[in-house]
Amino acid sequence: MKEHILLHRGTYHDSAFLMRISRELGALDGVSEAVVVMGTEMNRALLLDVGFSAEQLASATPMDMLVALRLEREGLVSRVQERLEQLLRGGTRSSTASSGSGEPRYPSLPEAMEALPAANIVSIAVAGPYATHLAHQALAAGRHVFLFSDNVPLDDEIRLKRLGRELGLLVMGPDCGTSIIDGTGLGFTNRVPRGSIGLAGPSGTGIQELSCLVARGGGGISQAIGTGGRDLSAPVGGLMTTMALDMLDQDPSTRVMVLVAKPPDGQVADELHRKLRTLSKPVVVRYLGRPPASARDGVNYCSSIDEAARLALALSGTPSSAPPADEARQPPPSVRGRLVGLFAGGSLTLESAEILRRHGIAAHLTHQLLAPGRALPPQPHFLVDTGGDLYTRGRPHPMVDQDTGLELMEWLGSMPDTGILLMDLVLGDGAHPDPAPGLASTMESIKRKLGAKAPLLVCSITGVARDPQDPAAQRGILEQAGARVFPSATTAATFAARALRQQHRGNHHA
Amino acid sequence: MHSQRNTRILPGTPWIIHVGMDDMTAGVAASGAALAHADFQPPGGGDPRRVRMLTDLAEAPVAERVDSANKIALERFQASQPHLVGVGTALDTIPGMEEGLFLHAGPPIGWERMSGPLRGAVIGGALLEGLASTPTQAEALASSGAIRFQPCHAHQAVGPMAGLVTPSMPVWIVEDHGGHNQGKRSFCTLNEGLGKVLRYGAFSSEVLERLRFMETTLAPALAAALEESGPVDLKLLMAQALQMGDEGHNRNRAGTSLLIRELAPHLAALPLAREDLSRSLAFMHANDHFFLNLSMPMAKCMLMAAEDVPLSSMLTVMCRNGTDFGVQVASMPGRWFTGPAMQVRGLYFPGFSASDANPDIGDSAIMETSGIGGFAMAAAPAIVQFVGGTVADALATTRRMARITLGRNSTWAIPSLDFLGTPTGIDLLRVESLNLLPAINTGIAHREPGVGQVGAGLVSPPWECFHQALSAFHQHVMETIPHHAEPV
Repeated sequence: MKEHILLHRGTYHDSAFLMRISRELGALDGVSEAVVVMGTEMNRALLLDVGFSAEQLASATPMDMLVALRLEREGLVSRVQERLEQLLRGGTRSSTASSGSGEPRYPSLPEAMEALPAANIVSIAVAGPYATHLAHQALAAGRHVFLFSDNVPLDDEIRLKRLGRELGLLVMGPDCGTSIIDGTGLGFTNRVPRGSIGLAGPSGTGIQELSCLVARGGGGISQAIGTGGRDLSAPVGGLMTTMALDMLDQDPSTRVMVLVAKPPDGQVADELHRKLRTLSKPVVVRYLGRPPASARDGVNYCSSIDEAARLALALSGTPSSAPPADEARQPPPSVRGRLVGLFAGGSLTLESAEILRRHGIAAHLTHQLLAPGRALPPQPHFLVDTGGDLYTRGRPHPMVDQDTGLELMEWLGSMPDTGILLMDLVLGDGAHPDPAPGLASTMESIKRKLGAKAPLLVCSITGVARDPQDPAAQRGILEQAGARVFPSATTAATFAARALRQQHRGNHHA
Repeated sequence: MHSQRNTRILPGTPWIIHVGMDDMTAGVAASGAALAHADFQPPGGGDPRRVRMLTDLAEAPVAERVDSANKIALERFQASQPHLVGVGTALDTIPGMEEGLFLHAGPPIGWERMSGPLRGAVIGGALLEGLASTPTQAEALASSGAIRFQPCHAHQAVGPMAGLVTPSMPVWIVEDHGGHNQGKRSFCTLNEGLGKVLRYGAFSSEVLERLRFMETTLAPALAAALEESGPVDLKLLMAQALQMGDEGHNRNRAGTSLLIRELAPHLAALPLAREDLSRSLAFMHANDHFFLNLSMPMAKCMLMAAEDVPLSSMLTVMCRNGTDFGVQVASMPGRWFTGPAMQVRGLYFPGFSASDANPDIGDSAIMETSGIGGFAMAAAPAIVQFVGGTVADALATTRRMARITLGRNSTWAIPSLDFLGTPTGIDLLRVESLNLLPAINTGIAHREPGVGQVGAGLVSPPWECFHQALSAFHQHVMETIPHHAEPV
């Protein structure tokens, strides 16, 4: 095996582009590994760790592109180099979605803001260490900020949010997956109708799931204000969530507010509760992964995302349609064996674990890195968040890129003692354009190996009819592959739990 | 579906500027909102310390203060009205000039680190001043410390290439007739012409002979003519030259012609010997760069008006001594930030190549600092081969430089850009956060003393001076706005 490093000086590229290049070069004959990164200290240390030589890495700066190669034989470098040049010439835009769309492009954020004084939101998706600089530039120019980037230092987040509040500007993020502001979807969003229910909180997937359930129930969303994954942590103290709630309280279109979040730190939860009490409009709260809860001081704490959606619809006066929970009542088959949960984000992992627990299934949220050939968690049932740091470092989000999820699905699903694969499929803008076929073909492959012993695939779909992937078609593909499909993580987990419990009951009777 | 009309929580219609991964904008596009993209480069070259400093400086309250300071600095620069008012000797006119003191181009430097052309000029200066009678004596004197060296910039003066000013040399006197620095003066020697000349380190008898002619014949004639003509508005002359195809650094043909036109009637009216008059006019005519030694003190005069504005990140000096490149910033007047002088990329005269070239030298980068030269490349299609070959390149260079400047010059317009003003007021913070260095047009000196100019081309400053300046500016701002230093 030959290690080789190519250095391209002074050419900065974003991570999506770099990952595309890595994949293209890695697919060349004779290339066993290709890692393409910018020469930051962290990336250099990473390459050093995996055995590349220090001399070649020493001179690289964060402005230089490093191409680290493992080659099966000598004499391949020039071919790789040729392909690389070809790819670089082909354009450095990471996406096909917006290329050629005629959207104006400016050489830098300050220049764009100067040219477009009426642009009111700056959306930022660059590497974390650089994101704060851009966010400050945006705030200083009087623009609201949607900050998708993660790995932003905590102190930076606090300073940005304090400044945002002072200036009356939203700082949605860092690590903000979803917002819908005045009808405009930012980040990962579903094409839900506008209406009278306002959403806020740090959980992006939670907001997506809620917005879809509200839409399926005949309601609409006035605003959805994502506040970033750490907003309700003790140090940040809900700086943006409280500002978002105030804005919703004053927004004439919003009749009911829903807060969806992972459980906040104790003191933050207390302060937030005091805040929620003072709001003039009905408030519904779902703290993901929390045991069943009820109203307190007029604040409606709910037991699941589904319940929060139902209650919000009722409080907003939306005429009720079929309650989604019914779908979980379809008769489950009796299933034996292990439950493996594979999720594209922490919110639904947490929520599913709690729903399973509530139905008598103890499923462990594993924090060990799973990969084919590695040890399994000791617990009988376990859930994996493939959107967690362990899986996303240097890779795209699992909602966009299925590789990690499908690899784990194939491996864990092919174990004869696996009884249920519980998964989530999040659709909408920003997500994978057609995810169901990947799951279906993996399922077919498992069935070819295990036949009737293949596990049951239970899958939730977060999406609405207008989403680009067409949820009905996605559902059809999954059902064709034998999957049981549900419109929410709550119903999917409930169904999975009942299937497993029937097995337990069956064992008792035997 | 709801048909109710929704209110907005943000003023205005949604209009998004997206920075970074393009894939993240599908939702914006689907909802039909206005969308624009902004490209991104890691600020400060991605160095974590510089990213931190630039982030601190981008925070709203700080950025606002820096912006207003930069407005003041730029306004003072624009309001300056440099006029040519006379010719005098360095000793009599330059503040702080003394016997035994030699001024040179660029940031401070001692004899031991001086490059060939600067050493040659010092030798020539010592011979001219009668301090030494042979080059060897002159060298011994220079290295002994008997001759003291200071930058021209420390004395309101500028000099092209070696930029040597000795006490007896005649100098142009430029005076500010407007704005903040009314009455303040700047200085520069008279341009000697091309070929073997002192500013390229030549010190042969022919060089010294020419300098004596300038001192005894040309300078008194020009001084007398100026007394007759009264002050000459240099900014206006420069504006005309830019419209006649000069960029004010590597091409000064139009400016030189305009100056001769301005002075000739007054020279002709002087009680001069006909051959002295003829020789003087021929001397100016033979030297396309004669005007450079006037546009340089003009630029210096204007940039001095922008000095000493606290919190301003505008550059007021860029210069080189053949060994180091130095810059100064408006808020920290007199402080040098330096890095190694770079090699010039350019075209060489027949018989010379890059191996003959001295690193970048001269105070003439004051032209770019004031927004001409490389920044006004679009005005000078005649010399585009120096910057890459095509007229399109020249236009692109001027547009690119507009990205790192604070504004547009109110007097100097470029016809090929629909009379848009030249990009003016280089902003240290834009240079650092956009990773974009100023483009400087320049001549190339031979690295041996006395050979002269061997080519011309384009050069960039070294990053080191901007990195140093950023650290110092960050500290200056944090000290000036103390509340910012409080922890969150």
